[in-house]
Amino acid sequence: MVTFQRAFAHNGRDGNCKHLALRIPHLSDDFRCRSAMTGGDDKRRAFEETALPHLDAVYRFGLRLTGNTAQAEDLTQETMLKAYRSWHQFRPGTNIRAWLLTILRNNFINEYRKAKHRAESVDISDVEMRSVFHDVAETDPEGKFFEQIVDQEVLDAIDRLPEDFKEALILSDIEGLHYQEIAEVTGVPVGTVKSRLFRARRALQKELFEYAVEMGYIKRSTL
Amino acid sequence: MTDRPREIDCGEAAEKLYEYLDQELDAATEAAVRQHLEMCAPCFQVFDFEKTYLKFIETRARAQGAPESLKRKLLDQLFREGSAAD
Ligand SMILES: [Zn+2]
Repeated sequence: MVTFQRAFAHNGRDGNCKHLALRIPHLSDDFRCRSAMTGGDDKRRAFEETALPHLDAVYRFGLRLTGNTAQAEDLTQETMLKAYRSWHQFRPGTNIRAWLLTILRNNFINEYRKAKHRAESVDISDVEMRSVFHDVAETDPEGKFFEQIVDQEVLDAIDRLPEDFKEALILSDIEGLHYQEIAEVTGVPVGTVKSRLFRARRALQKELFEYAVEMGYIKRSTL
Repeated sequence: MTDRPREIDCGEAAEKLYEYLDQELDAATEAAVRQHLEMCAPCFQVFDFEKTYLKFIETRARAQGAPESLKRKLLDQLFREGSAAD
């Protein structure tokens, strides 16, 4: 890995930078000033404005795939740099988030998953696929019990899904990609995306419901 | 579309549930599902429950973002990339 130095840090925030007018509020002050000083930075500006807003999505996907923050950070950096270097390959008008997540996924498969086998997750092939609604129709038809389940519990349950199913669910329900985009990112037909998504959602729902019952957030209907 | 949406039953509505919520249906099928939901309270309740569930997943799982330190590292690196190319 490249080491990161703050070699270019300068005193922009002290007001000594001549390029303050070029600063964009959501970006690092230093960075804007430095960009301005180097000149010829159209590509970088386009990248900042188009790709960088998706950094959170890239990191989240990396974190779910690798399962640890250090690897997720490396993977995110590698992804963003790769995207920057291949910026000319991005087709304007297509979904930038899908493009970035594809780069991340390929990188993950090639560099991180090499020796790792795919099966430490729960088997969802036998999970009953009806909506949990039917289990709570009498007690909580609006699903208010969900509100009591905390972030980490949801993330852990997502992580226990089989990888293909987890991927479909993350890309759709967390990152908001369309079926067609998920199909492109994961390299499977749209029909496969649909069925994976269906199973993933219902399996996760069931898992969270069982957890909520266990925690006493909700009673199972006796129907 | 000037025609009335075709009628579908609860089974077909259930089959289209997620595609409806994900706005992945063609306009005619979407209209057919919507019409069914207007008339069928049990299906409406299930759809509403599932919508709540999906919203809940999104909210919980999106709470987390990239660490601030990572953003700064990346900006540093992009700058170095840029100046290397200049
Ligand atoms: Zn119905």
